[in-house]
Formats: sequence, C-alpha cells, structure tokens
Amino acid sequence: MESQTAIEVAIEVKNLTHTVSSKTGDLTILKGIDLEIKEGESVAIVGASGSGKSTLLGLLAGLDINTEGDIALYGHSLTTLNEEKRALLRGQYVGFIFQSFHLLPSLDALENVMLPAELKGDKMARQKALQLLEKVGLSHRLTHYPRQLSGGEQQRVAIARAFASEPKILFADEPTGNLDEENGQVIIKLLFELNQSEGTTLVMVTHDNHLAAQCDRQLVMSSGRLQESTQNNCKDPLR
Amino acid sequence: MSFAWRFMRKEMRSSDVVTLLVALVISIGTVTAISLFIDRLRLSFEQESASLLAADRVVRSDQVIPPSWLQQAESLKLSVAERASFSTMIFAKNKLQLSQVSAVTNGYPLKGHFLVDSTLFGQGVKSNESPKPGFIWISSRLASLLGVTIGQTVEVGDKTLTVSKYLVLDPGASSSAFSISPRAIMNKADLAATNVIIPGSRVRYSLLVAGEANALSALQTWLAPKLTEGQRWITPKQRGERIGETINRAESFLLLAGTLAVVLSGVAMALASSRYVKRHLMQVAVLKTLGATPKALSRLFLLQLLFLFVIGALLGLAFGWIVQNMIAALLSSLVTTALPEPEFWKMWLGVATGLISLVTFCLPLMRRLIRISPLSVLQPSARVEQRSVILYLIGFAGMYGLMCLYTQGVMLPTVMMVAMAGIGLVVSLLGWVMFRFGRSVTSGATSGWQIGLAALYRRLVPNLFQLLVFTLIIMLGLVLVGIKTSLIADWQKQLPADAPNHYLFNVQANQIAPISQVARTLKITSSSWYPMVRGRITEVNGEQVSKLYPDDKPEPELFERAMNLTWADQVGEGNKVVAGDFSANGLSVEEKVAKEAGLKLGDKLTINIGGVFHTLPITSLRFVDWSSMRPNFYVIVPKSVLNDSPANYVSSYFVKPSQAQAFYQAMSQFPTVSILNVGDILRQIQSIIAQLSQAVQLVLVCILAAGGLVLLASVRSTLEERMEEGALLRVLGARGALVRQALIIEFACLGLFAGCIAAMGAEASLYGVQVYVFNAEPSWHPMLWLLGPSAGVLLITTVGVFASRTVLKVPPMHLLRGI
Repeated sequence: MESQTAIEVAIEVKNLTHTVSSKTGDLTILKGIDLEIKEGESVAIVGASGSGKSTLLGLLAGLDINTEGDIALYGHSLTTLNEEKRALLRGQYVGFIFQSFHLLPSLDALENVMLPAELKGDKMARQKALQLLEKVGLSHRLTHYPRQLSGGEQQRVAIARAFASEPKILFADEPTGNLDEENGQVIIKLLFELNQSEGTTLVMVTHDNHLAAQCDRQLVMSSGRLQESTQNNCKDPLR
Repeated sequence: MSFAWRFMRKEMRSSDVVTLLVALVISIGTVTAISLFIDRLRLSFEQESASLLAADRVVRSDQVIPPSWLQQAESLKLSVAERASFSTMIFAKNKLQLSQVSAVTNGYPLKGHFLVDSTLFGQGVKSNESPKPGFIWISSRLASLLGVTIGQTVEVGDKTLTVSKYLVLDPGASSSAFSISPRAIMNKADLAATNVIIPGSRVRYSLLVAGEANALSALQTWLAPKLTEGQRWITPKQRGERIGETINRAESFLLLAGTLAVVLSGVAMALASSRYVKRHLMQVAVLKTLGATPKALSRLFLLQLLFLFVIGALLGLAFGWIVQNMIAALLSSLVTTALPEPEFWKMWLGVATGLISLVTFCLPLMRRLIRISPLSVLQPSARVEQRSVILYLIGFAGMYGLMCLYTQGVMLPTVMMVAMAGIGLVVSLLGWVMFRFGRSVTSGATSGWQIGLAALYRRLVPNLFQLLVFTLIIMLGLVLVGIKTSLIADWQKQLPADAPNHYLFNVQANQIAPISQVARTLKITSSSWYPMVRGRITEVNGEQVSKLYPDDKPEPELFERAMNLTWADQVGEGNKVVAGDFSANGLSVEEKVAKEAGLKLGDKLTINIGGVFHTLPITSLRFVDWSSMRPNFYVIVPKSVLNDSPANYVSSYFVKPSQAQAFYQAMSQFPTVSILNVGDILRQIQSIIAQLSQAVQLVLVCILAAGGLVLLASVRSTLEERMEEGALLRVLGARGALVRQALIIEFACLGLFAGCIAAMGAEASLYGVQVYVFNAEPSWHPMLWLLGPSAGVLLITTVGVFASRTVLKVPPMHLLRGI
C-alpha cells in the first residue's frame, strides 16, 4: 500500500477558460477553473443544463482543446498536443461511458468490448473482453448486436468496453441518464465496483443526486465556474 | 488491422456500401464495355491494314489506267495487278441484287490475302489466289439475297459466272464494315464480256504495285507529272490514318454517351458516401474518444475504400466484358469479318474511371468523417459541416477530367458540360414551375395528393436534380425509339403515293426505246430520261481546285469527287430557278452546294469531262426538292457541251408491288442496266439503324441503371426524415393507405413531369433531324408523348416506392422511441 503523500495527481487544471465563437459573438463557457483530481478519486460534476459540465468533461478528456489555461493528465499537458497525439494519450489513459451508450451498431457485444484494447494493440484483447463481459453479467450475450440488447444491457457493454483498455481515468457522461431506476442502480453498482477493483479515477457528469452522492467529491458547475459542494464526503444520504 | 477487416466485412452488407459498389460496377462496366468494343473494331482494322491496300502502293483512277503505266511498273521489276470496281446488278434465276463488284487480274492481291469460305457466313480461310476466269466469289449476304449456293450460276451483265466461293474479306476493299451493297469478286478477263462498263459508267480503276522501295519511288517520280484530277497515288499510311480517325471519333462519341452513366454513378456514389458518413460520424467520434488516431482512422477508411474498389473493379470489368460481347454480337451481321478478341490491358480506362470517380466523389466526404471532433459525442453541435456544393464541384471536376481523357482533348467535354448546364437550367426552370404549380393547387394534408405534391416542392433541389436525370434518360430513350421506328416511315409517308421507287441507270441510248416499251406494256409510270456523263470540276475562275484546297483543307462536296452531269432544255420537276437564267448558255448549280463552295452567279468553272476541259460561267442557281425521288443533279451543263461526250441515260420509275415481278422479268433482257430499288435500300438502312440503336440501347440501359441508383440513393438519404414524417402522420391518425398514396403520388408526379419534358425534348430533337438531316416536313410523334410520361411514371414510381418501402412499415411508436 502506497503512502498518502505518494498519491499521484491524475488531472491538473490551471486557470481553464473556454470560449467559443458563435454568430452572436464570442461566448465564454468556462471561466478560470482550477482543479486537481488525485489518482483513484471519484468526482461528480453536477449543475444545471447548459452550465458547461459536458464541455468541461470533454476538455478534461482531451476531446477538444481549450482556449486558455492548461490541462494535464498525469503530467502530460493536453494544450500543446495535436489531435493525433491527444488520441494516443486518450488510448493510453482514458476510458469513456456515455449517456446514449454509443456502441458501434455493426459490431457485436464482444467485438465492441475488444475494440479499445485492439486499438492499443493488446494481444489479450479477446480474453480481457470475455472477462469483463462476465463481470457485467453478459457472458450469454456475446454475439448479440447492440440493437438486440436492452438499454441497460447496452450500458453494461459500454462499461465493460470502458474498462477494457485498463484506463487510469474513466469519464462518464450521465451514465444513467437514459435508463430506468432499476437499470440505473445496476449500472451504478457495476461502475463503482469496477472502479474500486481496478483503482481507476472516475470523473462523472450527472443530474442524479443519488449517484453524485456516492462519489468522493462533488463539484457544482454554475455559469461557467466550478465550486466544491458543501455536501462533501456525505456519501449516500438516501441510503 | 484485424479490426479493420472485421469492420469492413460487416459494412459490406449495409445499403450504402452496396449502393456504392453497384455504382462503381456500373461506371467501370460501361466504360470497359465501350473501350473494349472499340478496341476490337480497331484491332480488326489494324489486322486488315496490314493488307489494307492489297499492295505496297496503289494508283487509283476514275478512268482506265493507260497500259504504258503497267509497262513502266513492270520494267522497274515491280509486281503488278489491276482491279476495276463498280456497282452493277447481279441476276440469279429471277432474283436480282445491286452489288459492289471487283474484277481483278491474276496475281491479285499482291499483299495480304482473301478470306473465303465454302460454308455460308463462315469465318473464312486465307487464300492468295483470285477467282479463275468463268468463276465468281460472292459474299454470304449476296448469296442469301440471290438464293444461290456454291456451284450455281449468276449473271453479271451478259456474262454467266459460276459461284465457287463465299467471299469473307477482300483485302483491297475500301472497308469491310458497314457497307450497304453486298460484294462480289470476279476475274478481270471476264469483264469485257459482261458489257456492263459503258462510256460514262462509274468505275474505279486501280493499278496495284509491290516491290523494292527504290523501284516504288522511281515509279512515283515517273508518274507524278502524269497524274490528273481524279487520279491518286495512295500509300497504306493514308488509308490507315483515315480509318483510325473514324474509329477515334466513334470512340469519343460512345465514351461521351457513357460519361452520362459515369456521372450518374458518381452522383450515386456521393449520395451513398454522404449517408455512410452521416451514419458513421458518431461512431468515428466514439472511436476517437477511445483513442483512435486520425491517422489510424484514415488508414481504416482508405483500406475499406480500396477493398471496395478492388471488388468493384473486378465485378465491373466482368460486367463490361459481357456487355461488349453483347454489342459485338448485335453488330455481327454489319461487320463482315469476325472481330478479334480485345486486349486485356485496354481495361485500364474502366479501372481509371472507377478510381477517379471514387477519389473525387467519395474521398472528400470521407475526409469529413475523419475530421469529426471527438467532442461531438457529448455535444452534437461540434460536428464539422462541409459545404456539399464544394464536394459536388470536386466530383464534377473529376468527371470533366475523365471526359478529357476519353476524348483526348478539352473542346468536346467543354461543349458537353456547357450543353448539360444549359439543359439543366431549362429543366430546373420547367420543373420549378411544375412543382410550384402542383403545390399551389393543393393545400392542407388530408389527401395523398396534397401530401405528395407538397413533398415534391419541399425537397425542391434534390427533386429538380432527379427530374433532370430522368428527363435526360427518358429523352435519350425516346429519341432512339423515334429514330428507329418513325423517322424513315415518316419520310416515306410524305412522299407522293406514286413517287418513283426504282432508278434505272447505265442505260445506253439504243436501250431507251425498248425499255420505254416495257414500261408502257406494264403500265408503269416513268419520268423522263436524262443523259448522264461523269465530270470533275478542276478550276474555279482559273484557279486550280487542288491549289484552293490543299490536303489539310476539307473540300466542299462539289469539288470532292467526280460527279454526274446532265443537260436539260427546261427546268425539271422538283427544281426551281432561284437566281439567274436557266436558258442562258452556262451552268445551272444547285443552290446549297453552290453556297457551300462559295460560288455565285458569273463564277467560271472548268469541268473535265472525259479528258476534255470545258470552261463555263454559272448562269443560274436552282432549288432542288431531293425528296421528289426523280434523278436530280448538282450541276446541269448546256446541251452543246455534252453532245460530244459519251453518255448513258438515267430515269426513275414507279413500280407497284404487283408489277414488280413482271418488271424484273422483263428487265432481265437488259442485263447491263442497273436497277436501284429504293425500298430495298431503305430497308437496309432501317436494319442498320435498328442494329446500331440496339447497341446504343445497351449503353442506355447502363445509364438507366445508374439513374435508378441515383434515385435509390437519393431517397435513402432522406429516409430518416421520411420515416419521421410517416410516423407523425400515423400518430396524427392517418391511415397507412394515406402514407402509401402520398408516396406514390410524389414519385408518379416526378415521373410524369420528367416524361413530359423528355417528350418535349425528344420531339424537338426529332424535328431537327427531320428538317435538317432528312430535308423533310416536320411531323408530330404522338407515340412519344404517350411513351415518355408512362415510362417516367412507371420507372420512378417503382424505384421510388421500393427505396422508401420502410416508410410504409414504420410504426407510430417510431417517433416516441426516437430510434
């Protein structure tokens, strides 16, 4: 077991500002955000619709490039990298779970899970995918295509896919947003179990207070600014 | 890599990839078929051109070759042969047929060989010997027209000859393809006994020589000052160049027609790629979030395109091979020799076409796919939008490049592009008016009419494009049908019922009385007799024609070759003097040829008639109604000029079908007289047009398939939108039948409009052909107005409803699920 002081910083954000241009002029979505997320932490970003949560998530994951300030994943600054290099970095460090699952419709469940590991050139992709699908309880659905799976099942495949590349940081965008309560619970349970066992850092955007409450930290996004929630460390108030 | 293959294998089944593949096959196949077929024609001519002249050099002449020329050639140790070619009647039992006969000396051909066979329509075996005296070789076509076989006899003029072989190829014949009169070869020793060559007959004499290059050039030097107008020294190169040019022109023309299929396939490819890109945008964004680099994605999609291209090219080449074989089979009876197999490497043009189409129509769209921001997984607004106008411009630039490649120049493609843009503009305008009108007469959404017509107007731009595509296709089809079925019939209908249908020529003065007697006995209507001599214009206002028109400058028709001249006291039937005085002691020239040659009243022409030169002024210009079917002449000379010249006579007869048998029977006592049956000639032209148009129809079918594909791809690109509309209508309480009705009406109206505009265009084109090519009165073609719209409605409704069939099945729940 590593000592407290040896814990690495997974994500470091300094003075992050993001402006997009639109027909009506420039629009600043994120304003001077500073943030540090340590390895193994789980962080929920909550906030009203349009407050900039998803933009922040996208920038943290290196899906887009910010206009000012700096973002570093494990000490690698994203700001100076081009799309080619950022993609490589994502492949190395990052996993994703989306609200609308985004499985590739032309690939079956097993192939979808194998995909990120294959992109990394992992020879054990198939074995890993089989294990993960076993873990999410879908070993009987390996050759089913996304359209043949229910929403909950699709999201379980997506979770298995997210862990297949053994990411250090997992980004989740409203992972239960498209699911009913019962399926949502299953997904949350799976997500946290896997997160725990794999030692992954989790950054999640959600509207679901119940879900947010399960995270180590909750950050509130409001008008482009980010604040630590006062309900900090108050895990699972409803339970 | 393994992911790439797996991805590809799965994608191969999706409808846009299939559309892309089919489009590729059509475009590669069409171009391959055309270029291979042309290659076979070219190879066939090249094989012939080795023996193209049947000699090393030929002297061609309108008059008998002086014996001194032969002696000179022999003294130079050159091998020598002679040949005389002419049109004459060949009789067998009670059948007769105008034929192209060559009489050759022993030793002909000096170079190359005959192809002859002892079975009808055989492929032929080589023979270096010419027919022996007393024998004749006739083409299989002539044999079947006359109903004779080997061993039986035919009559050429007064001489009876025995058929000993079927002639497949004469190495010295001007061209073995597309000739109207069937051919025969006999020995020159029998020529005099036939009595068919009389003063004034149109005969082409050739002196063939072969041997050492030095001797040949010595002969050329010796002959050069002796050659007169109408005599030429011919090398094999000159012959080859002319034929090569004709084939090049045919190739350019066919390939340009094929371009339409290529352009349409390209558009179908672009539409299919666009839908493919739309479908994959989100997937690519997801792959990017998973760490796929743009380079890896480019490789993935390029690999996929390459794989698609290889499959498409293989299938397209196979398809093209089959189609070119079909074209060759359709034209086999027009081409007298069997076509050689095409060369494989000629397939490059088809492959290049496929590659250029794919690169210009698909790659720019694929780039859009690669460039999508991974952020769009979270925010759909972050997608990269590219302007489709620019994408299509890249595609059309590629097509323009292809056309330049096909025609080896920029002129024709530029003209064609401008013409297409013009037609596009007119059709768009007409279509806009029609769609607008359709929209304005209905409003609301309670009937299929209202919904269908509204849909046409709402998707205005894609619908106008469909309209243009189908208008063009249907119009081409209608023009083809019109030319094949009605043009000649229309022209015949316009002739007076008793218009002459037989020409009699090669008639000698002493035969006029007995032949007229035959006509009187059989109650056959005849026109007057015209004396006819051959003459050639050599000088205009004292300047030599050969200097006015050097080799590289095309000569007007009037100066091009020897022509038939006549004299007349008064203006003949169907002729009208438009300027000058007919009775003056000068020349009367037909106004159109005069205009072409830049001649006016008072210009002095020198005419060589049988070696005597006459210089006369033009004293009148005439309008000639060529459809009068009476003997007509470009130039009429004063009687005083023709009096001393050896002439034969020409006349035209109207022979009723019931009189024909008796007439032919009676005419067989004048075997040297040639009879030209206009009906036969027209039937031959009709059958040639029918066969050629069948070949063009094959290209049209390829164009049609590409057009259908465009419609299919276009409908599929709006499928999501249509499904949503369909579901919405159902949610709002519409019955399934209403949705179906609306779809049918939308496509049927599009077809109806396309058919009507196409009929208009076809009618205009046929008007042009009737008025300017046939010099006939224009007439309406009601059949086109029936055929065009009904073909349009049937075609577009079938394809359109098929492409959007899922809309009919979509449940109202679709909207709620938002799948």
